[in-house]
Amino acid sequence: MSSTLRLSGLRAPLAPFALEVSADLRAGVTALFGPSGSGKTTLLEIVAGLRRPTEGSVRLGERMLVDTAAHVWVPPERRRIGYVPQDGALFPHLSIRANVLYGSRSARRGGEASGAVPAAFSFESVVETLELGPLLDRPEIASLSGGERQRVALARALLTGPELLLLDEPLAGLDAALKARVLPYLARVRDEFAVPIIFVSHHPAEVVALCDEVLVLEAGRVLAQGAVAELFEPATEPSYVLRPSAPLSGPARMI
Amino acid sequence: MKRLLYALLLIAPPFTGAAELTVHAAASLTNALKELAPVYEKQSGDKLLFNFGASSLLARQIKEGAPADVFFSADEAQMDGLEKAGLLLAGTRENLLGNTLVIAVPADCTIIFNSAADLIRPEIRRVAVAEPNSVPVGVYTKVYLSRLGLWEKISPKVVPTENVRASLAAVESGNVEAGTVYKTDALISKKVRVAWEVPATEGPRIVYPLAALQGSKEPGAAGRFLAFLAGPEARGVFTGSGFAVLK
Amino acid sequence: MTAEDWQIVVFTLGVSGLGTLLILPPGMGLAWLLARRDWPGKALVETLVALPLVLPPVATGLILLRLLGRRGPLGGLVERWLGVEIVFTWRAVVIATAVMSFPLFVRAARVAFEEVPVRLEQVARTLGRTRAQVFLSITLPLAARGLLAGAVLAFARALGEFGATVMVAGNIPGKTATLSLSIYGLVQLGQDGAALRLLAVSIVIAAASLWIAEFWLRRRTGPGLIP
Repeated sequence: MSSTLRLSGLRAPLAPFALEVSADLRAGVTALFGPSGSGKTTLLEIVAGLRRPTEGSVRLGERMLVDTAAHVWVPPERRRIGYVPQDGALFPHLSIRANVLYGSRSARRGGEASGAVPAAFSFESVVETLELGPLLDRPEIASLSGGERQRVALARALLTGPELLLLDEPLAGLDAALKARVLPYLARVRDEFAVPIIFVSHHPAEVVALCDEVLVLEAGRVLAQGAVAELFEPATEPSYVLRPSAPLSGPARMI
Repeated sequence: MKRLLYALLLIAPPFTGAAELTVHAAASLTNALKELAPVYEKQSGDKLLFNFGASSLLARQIKEGAPADVFFSADEAQMDGLEKAGLLLAGTRENLLGNTLVIAVPADCTIIFNSAADLIRPEIRRVAVAEPNSVPVGVYTKVYLSRLGLWEKISPKVVPTENVRASLAAVESGNVEAGTVYKTDALISKKVRVAWEVPATEGPRIVYPLAALQGSKEPGAAGRFLAFLAGPEARGVFTGSGFAVLK
Repeated sequence: MTAEDWQIVVFTLGVSGLGTLLILPPGMGLAWLLARRDWPGKALVETLVALPLVLPPVATGLILLRLLGRRGPLGGLVERWLGVEIVFTWRAVVIATAVMSFPLFVRAARVAFEEVPVRLEQVARTLGRTRAQVFLSITLPLAARGLLAGAVLAFARALGEFGATVMVAGNIPGKTATLSLSIYGLVQLGQDGAALRLLAVSIVIAAASLWIAEFWLRRRTGPGLIP
């Protein structure tokens, strides 16, 4: 599933600025990096179909998801894009197991042109990768820790067999110890399921640990795009900073 | 005897301050009394405050202690109730007016009535009658129709209303096919016509008694107003409205 | 309690229940729109919906009477097309109680929907569910407590309705006389004893409704329900 995500001329209001993004993203894990308010979440929402851009188009693989010029709009339930927002957004009125299974039925049923969900995304493999076994039989989501919530939310998204996974700051709100424990799960998802991932973060250490490519956003515009190694350099351990001389590569451009 | 009382009150020195009289009067008297009020106020210098409504409701309010100086009822039963309770100013009660019961229908209704029994017809689906167990016009209606043996058949169609003017409004709006009101009420409205007038020989005797109340704080002024209502000017307005003036 | 008393009680419960059921679907629909959408003229809609709450009930009753009367715009149509009369029948009682309780329910339902995080609905869409499926599986269950409380409020309001009902349905014994109307009528007739009896019944019904509602609401605090 090596689909590329092509964003062309996307525009949307983003107080106090505007979002203006064009970029091509390849398979693997791409970081969406930038300070708070730079438009990362807005961009994710547009890709997921939860927000309409005023202009522009989004293409995933062979499918056009939205094209304002051609009046194309695929609703979120048919985009086959998994979305995990910042706090996991688990459904409080459902048990853990019901949460995890929420999307899987409709994905298997309403797969449409996308075909059946690949075996790689089976219930057993997802549960095993994210080590959810012991959690599944606990009734209350209120008893889950922050890290456990993220894993459950991830599993829930994976079980729909998505073609693209959007993770909005999955490690936000976790202390360093928890982050260290959850990061490996994300790496496993990357390795086991071969689904392209867009990983939003404003922590360079996470980006370096997990991602291949980086798209840097600031004030709603793309500042830079390239391989992680090119754009980040080690600074006072264990952190990283953007290289001052980070070259612009790939089809991204400063708008 | 009453004439003597009125005469005494008339020659009594007038009050220096203007009196305010609260008059509780049957709803059917609304237009006539409102017409007479400015005339009397100018003449006497007193101020009149009216409370119009179903006589049964007014009597109840007076019994509960509502401040009032004069009660002008549409039937004797309500006045009797107050008299028994000792609420009337002795010697001031008299029967002043009479009226006629009619069946009214909307002005554009084409049904011709030959008698009250036409109320049974299926085209007459609903009949507005002010509460038949307490409001005078409703009581008169029930008595009349019972005498004719019609009440059993008509009561399922009856829509009980608050007072005679509410019945009139119901007929005017066309929401009921007919209603029982006084002739004086039917004459006021262009939107209704009289389908049947109850003959004096058949119908119950309709009497409007008038009295000053024991609890009145202005018995002198009340007496003067009563005398005015019995006088020639008032008589002219009452007969013009369709009331019968007794005596 | 006489047979007539029972008839009045059953009738009152029946029309109040029916009126409440009738306002639930449009009430929920409108509340959802008010909670989730914006449009030009929204403020006007909010004002119109709130009117029966602020207007004196008899004023609302008068408006209904003009509309639903046999020569009125709505009443006339209904009578011509369906051959059915509204004013001075039980139908007018149901309509009057429904109109008076509608704003209360919409208010409560709107708050209930606003308290459901939009994020949850969005995530549910990305997991493959349509708008309707999301409403049924996520929004409705999470708003259920607020909706139920709103329905109970509406029912209680319907039970006690008087001003609008008396205008548009009259107080016809056996046909449109509810508990409130009957108590009023009995007091008018001076039959205080019977009036007090019905008053006692009203209190019992009101208390029972509140207890049942409380019990129901407490039971729903199941695993993970937002308090």
